[in-house]
Amino acid sequence: MTDLRIHRHPILKYVRGNPLKFYFEGEERTGYENETIGAALYATGLKEFSHSFKLDRPRGIFCAIGQCASCRMRVNGVPNVRTCITPLEEGMTVERQFGAGEKPTNTEVRKTFKKELEADIAIVGGGPAGLSAAIYAAKFGARVVLVDRFPKLGGQLIKQTHKFFGSRKHDAGVRGIDIAERLIKQVEENPNIMVLSEAEAFGYYEPATIAVAGKDTIYRINAKKIIMATGAAEKALLFENNDLPGVYGAGAAQTLMNTYGVKPGDEIIMVGAGNVGVIVTYQLLQAGVKVKMIVEAMPKIGAYFVHAAKVRRMGVPILTRHSILRAYGENQVEGATIVQLDDNWQPIPGTEKDVEVDGIAISVGLRPTYGLLDQAGVKIQFVPELGGHVALRNRNLETSVKNIYVAGDIAGIEEASTAIMEGRIAGLSAVIDMGLAGDDAKELRESVRAELTELRAGPFGARIRQGLEKVEVL
Amino acid sequence: MKDRAELVIIGGGVSGLGTAYQLAKRGFTDIVVIERDYFGSGATGRCGGGIRQQFSEEYNIILARESVRMFEKMSDELGQDIGFRQGGYLILAHTEKEAEDLRRNVRLQNSLDVPSMYMEPEEALEIVPELNIEGLSAAAYCPTDGVAQPFLVIKGYVDNLRKMGVELMDHTEVLDIKVENGEIRKVITDKGDIETRMVLNAAGAWSRNIAKMVGVELPNKPYRHEIMATEHMKPWLKPMVISFHNGVYFSQSHDGEIVGGIGDPNEPSSYNIKSSLEFLERFTSVVVRYIPIMRKVKVMRQWAGLYDVTPDARPILGPVDELPGFIQAHGYSGHGFMIHPMVTKLLAEYIIDGKTSIDIEPLNLRRYTSGETIQEKNVVG
Ligand SMILES: Cc1cc2nc3c(=O)[nH]c(=O)nc-3n(C[C@H](O)[C@H](O)[C@H](O)COP(=O)(O)OP(=O)(O)OC[C@H]3O[C@@H](n4cnc5c(N)ncnc54)[C@H](O)[C@@H]3O)c2cc1C
Repeated sequence: MTDLRIHRHPILKYVRGNPLKFYFEGEERTGYENETIGAALYATGLKEFSHSFKLDRPRGIFCAIGQCASCRMRVNGVPNVRTCITPLEEGMTVERQFGAGEKPTNTEVRKTFKKELEADIAIVGGGPAGLSAAIYAAKFGARVVLVDRFPKLGGQLIKQTHKFFGSRKHDAGVRGIDIAERLIKQVEENPNIMVLSEAEAFGYYEPATIAVAGKDTIYRINAKKIIMATGAAEKALLFENNDLPGVYGAGAAQTLMNTYGVKPGDEIIMVGAGNVGVIVTYQLLQAGVKVKMIVEAMPKIGAYFVHAAKVRRMGVPILTRHSILRAYGENQVEGATIVQLDDNWQPIPGTEKDVEVDGIAISVGLRPTYGLLDQAGVKIQFVPELGGHVALRNRNLETSVKNIYVAGDIAGIEEASTAIMEGRIAGLSAVIDMGLAGDDAKELRESVRAELTELRAGPFGARIRQGLEKVEVL
Repeated sequence: MKDRAELVIIGGGVSGLGTAYQLAKRGFTDIVVIERDYFGSGATGRCGGGIRQQFSEEYNIILARESVRMFEKMSDELGQDIGFRQGGYLILAHTEKEAEDLRRNVRLQNSLDVPSMYMEPEEALEIVPELNIEGLSAAAYCPTDGVAQPFLVIKGYVDNLRKMGVELMDHTEVLDIKVENGEIRKVITDKGDIETRMVLNAAGAWSRNIAKMVGVELPNKPYRHEIMATEHMKPWLKPMVISFHNGVYFSQSHDGEIVGGIGDPNEPSSYNIKSSLEFLERFTSVVVRYIPIMRKVKVMRQWAGLYDVTPDARPILGPVDELPGFIQAHGYSGHGFMIHPMVTKLLAEYIIDGKTSIDIEPLNLRRYTSGETIQEKNVVG
């Protein structure tokens, strides 16, 4: 059987737990503790996870972090389980769904009971923004409940194996995974912070209640303040067969290889030469994946020069003014047709070229995940500079709905270091506005704000600054 | 926008658009329909889409029966699939008294050609094998009941009305109605005035505010009703399952979601349409009690809408004595979607012919002052 697990890696050591037997459509397979069902199946060579429910088109893992619906399968008799975020267990039965799922056959009750939690602050999202908000709020004695739908805390940081840019003060030279370690440790050791993992916030209710679906329990968190730090989702790109299994977000490729030690493919093409596309390309090479080329529709490369130069040195051509026209293959990607673009972004006939690959990674940017904010009635505006729909807010990151704050990518697509600063500001603002902290917290907030301003200074921050002018209006 | 019309209809739900359609079909097209928000934004677009003939009171049974006959032809007539599916309604009773009510209602319904049947709980398992019949005393089932998709019905009406030349104004609010010498003169909207002698008040839960504009008091009261939908599944739940015991109802829509809600006897009258967690908890625990496998089905969405409730839970239809030309089409008390085809047809008959094929006099507003009301008991929620 195919084995896509990475066994040697220059930076990462994968801690695989005990082997677990499970059954895929009756056939015995092996995965490991700490893997999700999706990662374990992918490692054994499965690409076609489901079929879409209206048109019955084959679908595979696209986001790998529970934000889309393409990896849904029937698990232990329950339909529509997102296998990319559901941990593997011994003896599980996993089946594909063709079209919509059949009704459940499993009536086994785990402990589906309801639990009320009282908290000063509920934080949704355990990435750099949410973790930092928790740490800074807890510093001032706030009782915090932090929820995340993923089995592991750290958000997108846990797959960032590269060293960060910027000044020493902001963790330049430190790898994202190490920053995540540090934040997670501080959160887990803090007696004021309660963490719920594999717990998905599904609704906001007045006055400041968050409803959360945990593994076995529905929680009702009655808070005084809520910080939304749900991050971003990868944008999709429009092209023929863009839903074919083997087309996935660059972030999904990163999650598979860096979080689970599973190669997304053997030979792939990367679409998009921004920072994410180029950095993930480098990481793919580290994991032993051949990246045949990067195509980029813009006339120039968006990524930092040093990164781009590095992957080029390693033999990956970057084709600017090129895009992908279609994916092809029967039930999974067998290749991509690329094409050159003219000055009006139109394909130039006759320049089409087929590239044989088993994967197409898309990195055309991220968009804020504003669903919960919208449901809560927060005023939202589309701001291209910030990556999409974001909440209007004041300088302290409080939105138009009193007691709801935002921090990190949900507030505008930036990066981990700014997410950390925003998390701190939101956490501090919540304790200040609640009357739990006074002048010392205000002073601290001012100094964090100064650091954040510094991070956004210079030409790279110009677009962000323009975007913020449109939303920091309350 | 037209500045003059023979009839102005206020409200773009099934009541207003349905009446416009029935009129236009008979050649009466000099109409403007005015909707404050988008078409179907009121109760219609928020409703469960349930279509039931199993009422306790003769008049409602007839309206529903005739409406089912019209629903059966609606997709073809409108050239729009309305998602109509006749999986029946299965009514669950818990007590002996409820069982007795079902038996009596079934007899009445059968006498009016509605093919409902009374059954023992065990027999209900043949219709819904997943049902937990513990604690049930009886059930009733009518195979020709069903569900349809409210938004598809609205779309069918809107597309047809536009083709027929009826003017439809959405995102337009009626601000006032001018009356002179006991006659309607003008409808004033935020987009301009329309001269008219006749207004159809089909503003759902807001009808009482429209009536106030011309000095008419309505007894209607708005009540929030919450509702939710699950993930999609392949079809497995055939009927709409309901119980008057706890006011629950749920069914599987034609694209696979389980949609349902439950009434709250403690809900105060208001215009609040926010969703609550209490509703989710109450509804899901009742559903799981009836159908244990529902425990593993995921909730996708929840929302709420307003029931427009009258003292006898029956609609208010036809003219008012104080102001001829001011015609009522509201007060459906939570079952307006299912009876709207026949009701709107009768209203069109009244407007064009001055008389109707089924007498609508018993549903005139006047009944509340004359004291001639009959209570409908089979109200869900
Ligand atoms: C949760 C829920 C579930 C339900 N389930 C069912 C069911 O299963 N079966 C069933 O038969 N019925 C059901 N109902 C009831 C059904 O939805 C209503 O009876 C029916 O839709 C009423 O239609 P309508 O046209 O009278 O009102 P509406 O659909 O409310 O239309 C009235 C319209 O008037 C507009 N309006 C108000 N004021 C103004 C103004 N000043 N100017 C312009 N426009 C104005 C409003 O915006 C609105 O769109 C349910 C209702 C709810 C809330």
